[in-house]
Amino acid sequence: MGQTLVYGILNGTVYAMIALGIALVFGIMKYLNLAYGSLIIIGAYGSLFLFRMGVDPFASIPVILVTLFLGGAILYKLFFSRLIEFPEGEKIKNSLLIGFGLMNVFDNLAFIIWTGNERSLTPSYSGVTFEILGLRVPLIGLIGGLLAFFLISILHLLLSRTYFGTSVMAVSQDHEAAGLMGVNVNRTYLISFAISVGLASIPSVLIGLQSFSATSGMQWFNKGIVVVMLSGMGNIYAVFPAGLFLGIIEALSIFLFGATYREVTGLVVFVLVLILFPRGLLGKRVES
Amino acid sequence: MKDLRKIGMAVCLIGLLALLPFAIRSEYLINLLLMFFLYFTIAQSWNLLGGFTGQVSLGHSAFFGMGDLITRLLWIGKVPILLASFAGGVSSMLLAGIVGIPFLRMKRAYFPIGTLALAVIAQITIGNILPLPTYLPGEYMREYRLFSRYYLALSVAIVTLLVVWRTVSSRTGLALIAIRNDEAAAEAMGIKTYKYKVKALLISGFLTGLGGSVFAYHQVSYYHEASFNLSWSFLPTLATFIGGLGTIIGPILGSACFLALNELFAITLGQIHLVIFGFSFVLIVLFLPGGLMSLSKQIKFALKTRLLKGP
Repeated sequence: MGQTLVYGILNGTVYAMIALGIALVFGIMKYLNLAYGSLIIIGAYGSLFLFRMGVDPFASIPVILVTLFLGGAILYKLFFSRLIEFPEGEKIKNSLLIGFGLMNVFDNLAFIIWTGNERSLTPSYSGVTFEILGLRVPLIGLIGGLLAFFLISILHLLLSRTYFGTSVMAVSQDHEAAGLMGVNVNRTYLISFAISVGLASIPSVLIGLQSFSATSGMQWFNKGIVVVMLSGMGNIYAVFPAGLFLGIIEALSIFLFGATYREVTGLVVFVLVLILFPRGLLGKRVES
Repeated sequence: MKDLRKIGMAVCLIGLLALLPFAIRSEYLINLLLMFFLYFTIAQSWNLLGGFTGQVSLGHSAFFGMGDLITRLLWIGKVPILLASFAGGVSSMLLAGIVGIPFLRMKRAYFPIGTLALAVIAQITIGNILPLPTYLPGEYMREYRLFSRYYLALSVAIVTLLVVWRTVSSRTGLALIAIRNDEAAAEAMGIKTYKYKVKALLISGFLTGLGGSVFAYHQVSYYHEASFNLSWSFLPTLATFIGGLGTIIGPILGSACFLALNELFAITLGQIHLVIFGFSFVLIVLFLPGGLMSLSKQIKFALKTRLLKGP
């Protein structure tokens, strides 16, 4: 039981990190980047490539981060920047459709380049576990959890202490008004989008250490988006508790019903939460 | 009068399509037409929800797979195919109702994302529960005729066309279009938007399930997971966008185009053709959101302005 919870929490941090990138873009510019899971998988292939050249998976994060950051900037320039002027509902719908198309492009490209085989990163320490209070904690999961904590702190500092953070807050509240006040809306969007894609590098290494294939991106995106919706759409600080919640629920369902119905339990909880708390578990009350 | 002529033309066309298998002997062509009817069915039923009502669903693969699964199990369990097909439609309508209705109640992107989550989860779960492929038993193989598959596909396509056409040209259709254009305004005009959205979802789910039953009846052996594959969500979306969102003709054009491109590229280019499809979908959403239907209008408009301006 306790052991189940440990694995649930560690999986939950991975879910939360996927959700963080999605929620960042959704909260700031009301885009839903459906190709996010595929980008994570591409990052995982990148770290596999570096790993085969002798680079440690965790050491490869900065390289992948920069590459994905640039890739995200290009994606934004080519496709997503054309949706800025749309009203909110149309923005969500169109970004989602574009993401859906891009996901097909990336997944199939990955399949062509790397075939559909399951891959995984296997450094020498991949099986190492710790004993804490009689529970086994895998080293990789622990590093992942620390990275997650580190990540959210950096992001918090970036959003609350810098000029960029202020402009992000302004743009996310009202991008037209922010533009009139002299904020460079397009650049703020570009950088936020690129940061969101760059953040995919950390889940991509953590997922790479488990196992992945060319078409598993959607699966991970799905976890991320469920967490985003549980946390109340675009509230980036709530993704961590929501991610842990999903991870624990899934772990409990494996413990109780076996692994076959794990996804179904996730869906049932998701639908129930949405019926009972339409703003998400930790959503802010919006006064009408 | 004009309507009567249209109906007459439609009846003639359907009669022609029904007699076609007697005229052409090529199994390839009949198969191609069958696939066209299948694509048209799911594209048109997606269009009712995504095009006319403006509720983009990415979960149609789950509805399609559900219709396929139930039909297949019943049919192999000796239930007559028409009954099994109907049951398939009803079961996917139920799935759409149970899972889709909570999402429809919510604003923002809950509906597309919720249905997408449903599709992904259904695919993984079916892969876990039914990992083995399904085969037709020997006696079924002996009496396998392409003709009967063709007629099922044709009748399902006609049912879809009629249902969507009737729905769209009725009061409900006006309500759906009002919801698409501005949900808040529609609500303010006294339209019960939630009720109509649910109606569109249920009809769309039912018709997609019928499409699934065609797949179940046509295919000889496949993994159960195959009919839950996310590409069954992508296909109707792409086909409708190619043809034209929110028009009856759009999905017909779109599925014909999709099929033609698929036949052209699938063999010569292999997997790359899916990359091309994904990319062209992105370009259509960005630059030609009205699809081919709007293209003709745009060309006409361009020609007219050119003519008016003079050389």
